Amino acid sequence: MKTQRIIFSPVTRLSGLLSVEVTVEKNRVKEAYAGSTMFRGYEWIMRDRHVTDAVYMTQRVCGICSLAHGAVSSYLLDDLYDNDIPENAHYLRNIMFAADFLQNHIRHFYLFSLPDYVRMPDRPPFHEQDITDVRLVEKDNRLLVEHYFAAVKAAQRSHEILAVFGGKAPHQHSFVHGGAAVSPTADKVNRALALIDSINRFIKDCMIPDTALIARVYNDYFHIGITPRRLLSFGLFRFGAKNDRVLWKGGVLSDDKLDPPEVKLIETDVTRSWFEDANVNNLTGRQPEPAPYKPDAYTWVKSVLYGGRHFEVGPLARMIINRRYDGGTSTMDRICARSLETMLIGELLENWLTKLEPGPPPIKQKTSPVKSEAVAVTDSMRGALLHSALLNGERVVGYEIITPTEWNFSPKDRQGRRGPVENALVDTAIPRPKMLFTVLGRIIRSFDPCLSCATHIINVKS
Amino acid sequence: MTREKFAAVCRKLSSRDNHALTEKLLSAVKTHRAKHNTPKLSVVWIETNDSGDNNISFMNTTFPYLGRVFAEMIDLLYSNTFMAAQGTKALAVLERAAAMQYGPFTLVVEGAIPVKDDGLYCAVARTQDRYITAFEAVTRFGKLAEHVVAVGTCASFGGPSAARPNITGSVGLSKVLPRKIINVSGCPVNPDWFVGTLAHLLMYGRPELDRFNRPALFYGFTVHRHCQRRSYFDKKDFADKLGDIECMFSKGCMGPKTGADCPYRQWVDHVNWPVKANTPCIGCTNEDFPDGSSPFFTSLSVKSPEHE
Repeated sequence: MKTQRIIFSPVTRLSGLLSVEVTVEKNRVKEAYAGSTMFRGYEWIMRDRHVTDAVYMTQRVCGICSLAHGAVSSYLLDDLYDNDIPENAHYLRNIMFAADFLQNHIRHFYLFSLPDYVRMPDRPPFHEQDITDVRLVEKDNRLLVEHYFAAVKAAQRSHEILAVFGGKAPHQHSFVHGGAAVSPTADKVNRALALIDSINRFIKDCMIPDTALIARVYNDYFHIGITPRRLLSFGLFRFGAKNDRVLWKGGVLSDDKLDPPEVKLIETDVTRSWFEDANVNNLTGRQPEPAPYKPDAYTWVKSVLYGGRHFEVGPLARMIINRRYDGGTSTMDRICARSLETMLIGELLENWLTKLEPGPPPIKQKTSPVKSEAVAVTDSMRGALLHSALLNGERVVGYEIITPTEWNFSPKDRQGRRGPVENALVDTAIPRPKMLFTVLGRIIRSFDPCLSCATHIINVKS
Repeated sequence: MTREKFAAVCRKLSSRDNHALTEKLLSAVKTHRAKHNTPKLSVVWIETNDSGDNNISFMNTTFPYLGRVFAEMIDLLYSNTFMAAQGTKALAVLERAAAMQYGPFTLVVEGAIPVKDDGLYCAVARTQDRYITAFEAVTRFGKLAEHVVAVGTCASFGGPSAARPNITGSVGLSKVLPRKIINVSGCPVNPDWFVGTLAHLLMYGRPELDRFNRPALFYGFTVHRHCQRRSYFDKKDFADKLGDIECMFSKGCMGPKTGADCPYRQWVDHVNWPVKANTPCIGCTNEDFPDGSSPFFTSLSVKSPEHE
């Protein structure tokens, strides 16, 4: 039997650098290896810095979801410093977080994902579009191309809301520990209200119908790229003086059983990653050093396991766990859940803007830490995100980050078990050899990969 | 529009109610292209070790919005972020660019270049038998390009990707490419700085550069010089905490040693910038960012005493 080994590289239209190797036999994907080809090592970079540098420093992990790193490191510092977050800051912070979500989801659907399903104009950067399965009628195709360019504006406006309150975007400045440094003045609120109004109209008039159209025309993708139904979320949108009230609950769904997530059940595995094999699972322990020549390794992403199993994270996991989406775990389910979530978050953002009380900056930073270690979690655009720190005084001794793309793009673990993306790829039928990259690209992008984020070392306190 | 007038317009900067720079810029490009029969600027954009924040910031460009930049200013031949092509077809585009089949091109590099361990910490793509490292790609295309632009602080100077202890041995583009490079730094770059630089290249060639090889148009003055809170500084009226309305020097502001026009131009359709949001400038356009700015909230006179 003839087995073909194929390298799909670069997988374009995503954040960061990704190469995927597959073997194909009898027009079916037999095995898949998702490989991230970039490594920066933020955990080393954070060491020996003042811990309050974490918010601005870790945002530089990621350009498309920067605020998520800023948010979770703020929660981490709030815990370390025992801050009490003023009520107005809850709204301000969540408004900024929501705005970055809208930016991310709109850009992912239109700028990254759409060229998988829509014939784009034959000019750069859309030339040489490798689309072998176009099904939209001319009129619909034309409309969706128009919406691509309308989405450019809607996403820019989402970042404008973030900049109005955060100072700039990406890598905002005002969402820091203790609250938010900006004054929610009436003019800022009004400006943001005008912006969210136009964004929400775009979501309802374009993004939702466009998603429905793609889902209808390409409905076979509800049966393609399916992962085992093991889903995990750390919850999203924190309120309360201690960031203790979570609007969208976290959970771990496995075998149709839903449990709250427990950080101590998370472990990592570097069997197939470019790191020295090391069996260390605590903050103070030795971290595995990078090993770029390691034989049999194929990625800078580590395998992340919960209770010894791989879990999918992201909008679909969040929406199913919170009973806001009732569907499967396929390529098209991931796309639909993300678009529906965009609509819900747009509505929340508008509502929170009306709850803001115009007034002084809602920020109360305490000046010294009351503990020397903490773990903070939230969901980000792509799913579960964790930061943890170990301090000596205010100096960082160890800083760990586990990003959502590490969960989804986990390489094979020591038992050879696949992570969610590899699982979704394996056993996929390729109707015609020419369609291989089209089909694989659709499955992979439905996870909204971000390799800039993913390439980090992690060690969670056990 | 003459080169001098263009520079004057850029210097005049923009404000919320007056999109003079970008509106004028685009119509100038259009007139210039028609008059001189100039094709759009062909661009090969190679992403290396970075966070992707510069391509996101580029998407935030207003007047012109991204769609018009693509339609009227540049032919973005290769870009990991934007191109519709994928896999072998994407790599074939890169090979055709190398064979000069699209004519002369401008190379844009986004990200630092790791040089340790044969550069294996960053590969821009993988072929059937090997990895194409960032080092290999940028040195090869850097030799072929008409102009080379480093976008963002990582590509310009190493930036966060090269922050201590820099275990990947990452460096800025100029350390691996012995030729004139235009550094459009920032973490991220402000879209106006980048789009403005591309417009200048298209119409007049390389802009005047400062001592860090950055377009003097945008980096020629310090943040401090034009800061709205400069009067507080002069009166030694310093903020006690983040959120205060006084000068942020006490909270670590890097404005006095940071070349950038943020106080005027501001960010994302010119709405805000860090000091206006009651936080310090962290000097993200600087050659020594982030290490030279860290700890971010410690006064410059403490973290960098020579500036006392």
